Amino acid sequence: MIEITDLHKKYSRNFVALKGLNLLLDNRVSTIIGRNGAGKTTLLRILSTQLYPTKGTAIIEGYDIIKETRKVRSIISSIPQEAQPIGILSPMEQIKLYLIARGFTAQQAGKEARFALDELDMDEFRNSPSDTLSGGMKRKMFVAMALASNSDVIFLDEPTTGLDPLSRMEVWSAIKRLKSKIILTTHYMDEAQELSDFVAVMDQGDVISRGTIKEILKAFDGKMRAERIDGETYDIKVGNIAVKYIDKSKVDEFLRMGYDIKQVNLNDVFLTRGMNLES
Amino acid sequence: MNPRFIGYFAWYYGFFVIKRGPSYLVASLSLPLTLLFMVGILSHGNLISFALIGGLVSIIASNCINGAADAAFFRLQIKIQDLFVATKITPGDYMMGLIMSYLVFSIPGIVLYAILGLYWHVFTIGSVLPIILILIAVTISISNIAFIIAGSMKHIRNVWGITAVLSIVMTVLPPVFYPYTFLPKIALYVLSASPVTPAAVLLQGYVGLEQLNYTTNLMVLILFAETVILTILGRQFIKWRE
Ligand SMILES: Nc1ncnc2c1ncn2[C@@H]1O[C@H](COP(=O)(O)OP(=O)(O)OP(=O)(O)O)[C@@H](O)[C@H]1O
Ligand SMILES: [Mg+2]
Repeated sequence: MIEITDLHKKYSRNFVALKGLNLLLDNRVSTIIGRNGAGKTTLLRILSTQLYPTKGTAIIEGYDIIKETRKVRSIISSIPQEAQPIGILSPMEQIKLYLIARGFTAQQAGKEARFALDELDMDEFRNSPSDTLSGGMKRKMFVAMALASNSDVIFLDEPTTGLDPLSRMEVWSAIKRLKSKIILTTHYMDEAQELSDFVAVMDQGDVISRGTIKEILKAFDGKMRAERIDGETYDIKVGNIAVKYIDKSKVDEFLRMGYDIKQVNLNDVFLTRGMNLES
Repeated sequence: MNPRFIGYFAWYYGFFVIKRGPSYLVASLSLPLTLLFMVGILSHGNLISFALIGGLVSIIASNCINGAADAAFFRLQIKIQDLFVATKITPGDYMMGLIMSYLVFSIPGIVLYAILGLYWHVFTIGSVLPIILILIAVTISISNIAFIIAGSMKHIRNVWGITAVLSIVMTVLPPVFYPYTFLPKIALYVLSASPVTPAAVLLQGYVGLEQLNYTTNLMVLILFAETVILTILGRQFIKWRE
């Protein structure tokens, strides 16, 4: 269980990235979504003991991230959003090095590294210097690293950004197989839908919505999203796309007006931030 | 202390850099060898021993100071430091891993200079232990200067410039290629701000090129104090948890 209380992060005198965040993460896979700059990475970096909060704290599996840092570090693995491999080392070598830092013996580390790379279909590139891997492959290497660690809690900051559809499914399958608790961030709503037992939606340094996907979408029950370029009726305009949330009974009417009709999904939580949908 | 991590890190990041990017090795040897050649020619061979013993320090020191670029790159650009923060290793393990990797990377140069030194009869049996101790002190102190630079950078772009300048100031200017007695006293003390200077003075003394005297005794103190102070500062600046 991760218990986050009143977490603040001030990067400079006039910029606050986290504004007193309170959150309880107690599911197998929890996903944090939110727009660019919402504070997801800042939150994950604080939870992974890379960054000090300005105020507040969090308890991870009973250990305080400020007072019991060593304990916390021994049970977590964390893959930074912008991590890049050391170019001259192969995936096998880097994962081994990481696992050795996690306390594995060299032999165990080699075995786990190999298994994880195999699971993500990277066996072929096991011994190639990372310089020669594609961007997605490099990302997959880091995911393999986290999965191989078998830590109690694993933080993955945008694990599948830049991955092809098949690779993403491999990552999902690996995440589902693991017993570890996983906290991940993503911009892919299908990924959040596929994996999460719990979702927290962040915006401007705070959590604006939380729960199962069903709970979060409760406000949209019975609604569909209608959108049309330069449409005249709308709840919100994104660029020149008019977006209107309509009752299912009005679908035909809007189709006749030339609107596209779509299922409501997590994207709509952002679109409708601060809006009142009762109409 | 996590010797297994330190060992693997040093092997991977020291040896594989040589194996998979040998041009770095050639680059790191080119300046000291050029200076050795020039000093040899200009002094009609008289100062070869000085340039040899000095080149040894110079190679290690420049590899360590260039480590600033590595450490900054790891922290700011590829976030390797962030990756290792959330593991069981301590910042001390990480720093030790980097230091050992610079040392491993310096091995070919050390071996080359050892051979040249034997050929020119620079070393004496009694000087081996002091030489090793002095080189260890240089490795530790200069690496920590590298960590201080890397840790105080907000952006990677300045690090190349700063290390290029420091590399010259710290590894060419000090009396590594000429007798320290050529220097005015005041210049010697100014240059002692870089641990390379006391190291060079001591080496010249211990291999018998110069007298062991009051100055060398003082330099033992300076080198020791700088190594301790820089290590403490390096640990502060490495920015493990920000
Ligand atoms: N080191 C830093 N110094 C100053 N400001 C920062 C720093 N890191 C992040 N910020 C700011 O804090 C805010 C939150 O950033 P953060 O990286 O946590 O967002 P994010 O939700 O992860 O975004 P993205 O989806 O783009 O990854 C942003 O406005 C960002 O500019
Ligand atoms: Mg982010």
